[in-house]
Amino acid sequence: MTDIAPDMWAKVPAGAAVPPPPPPAPTYGQEVRRRLWANKPAVISIVFIVALVLAAFFGPYLSPHTYFRQDLKLSNIPPAFETYAVPQEDGSVTRFFLNASNFNLYEVDAEGHVLGLLRGGRKDIIKKSQPYEFGDQAVTLDYSRLPARLLLEDGTELRPSGWSWNRTYLFGTDQLGRDILVRQLYGAQISLTVAFVATLVNFCIGVFYGGIAGYVGGRVDAVMMRIVEIISTIPLTLYVVLLMVVFDSGLLSIIVAIGSVFWVDMARIVRGQILSLKSQDYVAAARTMGASPTRILTKHLLPNSIGPIIVTLTMLIPSAIFIESFMSFIGLGVTPPLASWGSLTSEAVETLRTYPHQLFFPAAAISLTMFAFNFLGDGLRDALDPRLRG
Amino acid sequence: MIGYLAQRLGMMAVTLFAIITLTFFLMHAVPGGPFVSERMLAPEIAAALNAKYGLDLPIWQQYLNYLGSIASFDLGPSFKYPGVSINSMIAAGLPVTLQTGLLAIICVVALGVPLGVIAALNRNRWPDTTVMFIATLGVAIPSYVIATVSLYVFALRLGWVPTFGLDDWRGYFLPVFALSGFWISFVSRLTRSSLLETLEQDYMTTARAKGLKPGQILFKHGLRNSLLPVVTVLGPVVANLVTGSFVIEQIFALPGIGRQFVLSITNRDYTAIMGITIFYAAILMVMILIVDLLYVWLDPRIKLTKAAA
Repeated sequence: MTDIAPDMWAKVPAGAAVPPPPPPAPTYGQEVRRRLWANKPAVISIVFIVALVLAAFFGPYLSPHTYFRQDLKLSNIPPAFETYAVPQEDGSVTRFFLNASNFNLYEVDAEGHVLGLLRGGRKDIIKKSQPYEFGDQAVTLDYSRLPARLLLEDGTELRPSGWSWNRTYLFGTDQLGRDILVRQLYGAQISLTVAFVATLVNFCIGVFYGGIAGYVGGRVDAVMMRIVEIISTIPLTLYVVLLMVVFDSGLLSIIVAIGSVFWVDMARIVRGQILSLKSQDYVAAARTMGASPTRILTKHLLPNSIGPIIVTLTMLIPSAIFIESFMSFIGLGVTPPLASWGSLTSEAVETLRTYPHQLFFPAAAISLTMFAFNFLGDGLRDALDPRLRG
Repeated sequence: MIGYLAQRLGMMAVTLFAIITLTFFLMHAVPGGPFVSERMLAPEIAAALNAKYGLDLPIWQQYLNYLGSIASFDLGPSFKYPGVSINSMIAAGLPVTLQTGLLAIICVVALGVPLGVIAALNRNRWPDTTVMFIATLGVAIPSYVIATVSLYVFALRLGWVPTFGLDDWRGYFLPVFALSGFWISFVSRLTRSSLLETLEQDYMTTARAKGLKPGQILFKHGLRNSLLPVVTVLGPVVANLVTGSFVIEQIFALPGIGRQFVLSITNRDYTAIMGITIFYAAILMVMILIVDLLYVWLDPRIKLTKAAA
């Protein structure tokens, strides 16, 4: 107890200013929010995830390109290129760039918009060269020695005039001439959808299963937990693979496959929480007042165990993203032309030797997203339950 | 001990039975038979093929036959490669998978634990922050991304290692690195937090007060107690290395079981998928059992009867 000074017992004159009451102690929710906002990586992660979700779901509508339209004439275009300029007699300038891996010339304008593939003369297979005509100027593409060179009529080498960003296809195009940026956003959309929905399915099954096992207890609990034990010894990735083989690849089946398999951890955690909470007095009170088990479970037990559930949920999302991309990588995920980060990565691996930049985007996207969810999960864990801080 | 072992083995048998049953009926739930995707077969030939592989029998009889052949360690013939048995497929791939897998486990222990110890002993100084930064990277980046990026950098760009195959000893670097990257990071994080906790225990102060050498304190009292959680994750490590090997063997074109498995998936070779799944499951369960026994042996505080209950 605080010491009460004698003068505090003195009578307060009528009409004197009443000191304001102390501010109410922060509620649990406010405390959690304060701790979460104080955690820089977690806040950055939230911003990143929100931005990613917005970009993934609205970005594709803002682009003139679609994820499925192919243009084989404009395949494997890089996101940045060195332009060459050939001045014409009438004062205009023809600009183009050389794709050093497939020996094609593409016409571009001064800002870096790709105008199209340039048609050259007949290729000389023996001498490995191809003539091009630009008005009155003739340029020969010589690829007998690598890197390929462009030669003018007098035999001097044509020098590039400088680097330019690709304004038509910001991230370039893939091997079928599809815009990589749009496919990337579209892939994010699929990957995130699969991850969120599968996590939600896992959440529902896990809460339902763990809730019943924990609340009913006794023999039912023993049997249910034995089943969980058996399931957790089975390598689950193998089962997702088997389910995908049975269902045939597709968006819905991968959601079902992931959603039906990874609920075991959630069930365990919910059961543990419920077991420790159900002997609390307020549960006994609710029971005495005649609340049904469903009501006790949904109104009392689950809300009080929400912390660990949310943390498990946040940790489930990156593993769902990972499993989905893993499946797509080995060819069991979504079917082309649909894209996901996994299938984009495996497509990029095919052209790794010649167009390594195509690997960069999906690899960076999935890694950053995994980071964000991991940091967010850690942050939430620390904020919801500071005792668990690792 | 014997009782515990018997109980665990019984549990394993039940699990394996469940896996076999589940796998069998899942694979038979696939619409159409194994020969449907082939060129149109004359009905007589299809009937002969079905009879040869016992597919004309009722499903329960096929199931019993399958159980019987597995009991005699025969996983049956492949439907895609005539005359090749699943057993020989596994036997061909096992050495490769085992080599890379064992090397990866060795890397996990030999790199993950020391890194964690270094981080814990230099808490909040640069070695700690460096190790933890790399470990955070390693936990978040998927193994196939590590594999493809390192393939590009070290094999294609720098040319230090071959791009595929294991003919050269340098060929082991990238697959093992990609396989173990996640778990090295995970184990070093775990070792760090567990050792930090142990360092604060009273018996550590006692050991210091007795005037023991720092090395003795660290190895005899600190590490021995803080490595227990690390041993617990070794079971999942094995499981994960196995599934990781699907992609890694695919990327580096290693002729192991993982690649065989992915190939049978693309080929829709149902008996091979079934057989390899069951084989994997059995291996994993044995590994997890070994890890559990190791755990009991390392930590005398755990009573076997208690663990079994």
